Amino acid sequence: MRHPQQIGRMSAPRRKVQLATAAMLLVATTMAACGDGQDDGGKASAPKAPATIPELTTDPLTLSFIWFDWPPAQALETFANTEYKKERPNATIKVNTVPNANWHDAMFTQFAARKTDFDIAILDSQHIGEAVTNGNILDITDFVKTNIDVAAYDPYLLAAYGQFPQAETGKRDENASLYGLPLLGDTWTMIYRKDLIGDKPPQTWDEMISVAEKCQADNPGVSGLAFHQANGSDAAAVTYNTVNGVYGGNLWDSKTRKIDGVLNDAAGHEAMDVLVNKMKPLTARGSGNWFIDEVNAAVAQGKACIAFNWIAASGGLLDPKQSTLGTTREQILDKLGFATLPSQKTDLVPLGGMGMHVSAYSPTANQTEALNFMKWFQRADVQKKWAAAGGVPSRTDALKSPEFLNAGPFNQVYADSVPRMRDMWNVPEYARLVDIENTNVNAALNGAKSPKEALDDIAKEQQSVLDSSSRKGGGGL
Amino acid sequence: MLATVFISPALLLLLAMSVFPLLWALYLSFTDYSATRGGPARFVGFGNYTAILTSAQVHQRALTTLIYVVGAVALQTVLGFGIAYLISRRTHGRGLLTTLFLVPMMLSPVVVGLFWRFMLDAQFGVINSMLGSLGLGQVEWLTRQRTALISLIVVDTWQWTPFIMLIALAGLTAVPKYLYEAASIDRASEWFRFRTITLPLVWPLLLIAVMFRAIEAFRLFDLVYILTNGGPGVSTETLSFHVYKVAFLGFNTGTASAYGILMVLVVIVLTQLYLRYLNKLKEG
Repeated sequence: MRHPQQIGRMSAPRRKVQLATAAMLLVATTMAACGDGQDDGGKASAPKAPATIPELTTDPLTLSFIWFDWPPAQALETFANTEYKKERPNATIKVNTVPNANWHDAMFTQFAARKTDFDIAILDSQHIGEAVTNGNILDITDFVKTNIDVAAYDPYLLAAYGQFPQAETGKRDENASLYGLPLLGDTWTMIYRKDLIGDKPPQTWDEMISVAEKCQADNPGVSGLAFHQANGSDAAAVTYNTVNGVYGGNLWDSKTRKIDGVLNDAAGHEAMDVLVNKMKPLTARGSGNWFIDEVNAAVAQGKACIAFNWIAASGGLLDPKQSTLGTTREQILDKLGFATLPSQKTDLVPLGGMGMHVSAYSPTANQTEALNFMKWFQRADVQKKWAAAGGVPSRTDALKSPEFLNAGPFNQVYADSVPRMRDMWNVPEYARLVDIENTNVNAALNGAKSPKEALDDIAKEQQSVLDSSSRKGGGGL
Repeated sequence: MLATVFISPALLLLLAMSVFPLLWALYLSFTDYSATRGGPARFVGFGNYTAILTSAQVHQRALTTLIYVVGAVALQTVLGFGIAYLISRRTHGRGLLTTLFLVPMMLSPVVVGLFWRFMLDAQFGVINSMLGSLGLGQVEWLTRQRTALISLIVVDTWQWTPFIMLIALAGLTAVPKYLYEAASIDRASEWFRFRTITLPLVWPLLLIAVMFRAIEAFRLFDLVYILTNGGPGVSTETLSFHVYKVAFLGFNTGTASAYGILMVLVVIVLTQLYLRYLNKLKEG
């Protein structure tokens, strides 16, 4: 043996040195991973954007968005790269997309890392509370005052996509702060088969159910209804909330933050009963996990008499390549009608759509470009072009313009629905509230819970989420 | 000194990617830290652990996970061993058959989940279409409480039976031939040879395969996410899926860390007990 001293167990002092080195490495790794500490100790409020747009860079710049994967995302990228580039040739627009179910997580995990690969987050209106409270997006109140003609909008649309704390349905608080501007308006449309139920759409919810029932009985193989029932995203929750609103229910009392006893009052139970016992039996077997695409597929394949879907996702229904209802757009339109939702005790419809919000962690040059893009996007002429390109604008003049109203058969539905919109809770706890509602409504629709049990569970569990801020440990359960 | 230099990159990687996250999660598990809310992490003692262990939601997910693990691993063991036994008796085409059977194991769980989701679709899925051609009714595979969990077990079994098969095949191949020859001379029956020679010799290896599969099944997330998203309701939510929701829906990082640590502890304790049993078996 040439080196006997190097074989076998090392001496105690040497082991101590190696252990100490390992411990130091661990501490160093810990400190490096923890960053500068400023992140974690940073105050939880949104930083302010400048009132006026600073000087823009002349260097090539990519302005990145994050959205979920659906036709408006591709439409936005094409539209922005065509039109915005005319004014800012050095800017390229990239709309990054993720599956709908990952949308919230994809944005907020990056916010959690205090570093985003996007400059503009396209947030659902309900995400605003969480993003503002955590300081993830810029406060653009002063920027809006200086650069945006707020009088050009329906006040509620401006509030819904940007204001926090949440606006009451139909109202806007002039003194509240704004954190975003509208990108895409949306609501549900009722899609009905004119060739099966006639040209005149049902006017009340009860009438709609009886028409669907008759249509299903008269047309074997075609289900009476098709709507969102999945337990992912906000699918089943929006369906229940819509029926709840139509039957005069309320989601909560925002002033007292009370859900238990409000959501599950008599109107709430009636809505759940209508949904599970009257509407669900008219849907296709196994449709308990349907969302946007599945509902569209059922309509396009002629398998549903009446369906409900988001307007912004309905464009594909008119594409003959995706439909069995006709070989031309005109033939399809002979069979498909689009109408505002039927009313019952109220005429409320769900507010959909999203706003643009500037990431607080984006580089300054990109934040500046983002503000410039938002100012450009809200111009009257650009909003009309956006409407013609398939977007749903929020400016009143654009909503009334022929460019918008003639762009799609469902655009009139949107214009008529604007005064009827109601949103969900725009609070930091939104993601958990909607998950509770989604899973329980989905359970009721698929026979895993009775309607009463499901609604009472939603109310109880959601209330405990709102009340859990003072609990010591176990948050999130 | 040279040895230290050579192992330090691996050591650093291990510290950064494995040891540090584990210790950091352990620290966070005693706090109310939230990754998105920021602010200082407040110490809550064993509050997170108590809340998890006493939560009815967690108990429900633990039961779902247990049913899933027992169902999937038992089915995979029986099928995997059966296939391996049949393959081991063939003299021709053994390699080709083994390779073909291994294909599902090599696919990404996301891909497997997606195509099974299409196949199990109640409206246009091939499974219901086949049942229809046999005159049987449609089954709502993914949207009914009982069938959804069974579907998960079936899909997991389809993908992971080859793993058990591979290990069992290695064990079967290693059984000395002279034992079978001696048994033949004694005119022992096929069943007697299987019971007294094959099974006892393959059993320890099979148990190790079962242990690996049970640990994997205990952590199941991907198939649930793709196939059922935990539904209908929460009836197919496993513990891992629930941890994901706690961690990323409300960003309750402290609670999620405690939840993850508890899951690791469960695996470590059960594995230790299992390994002790295996050692006893070996000694016996």
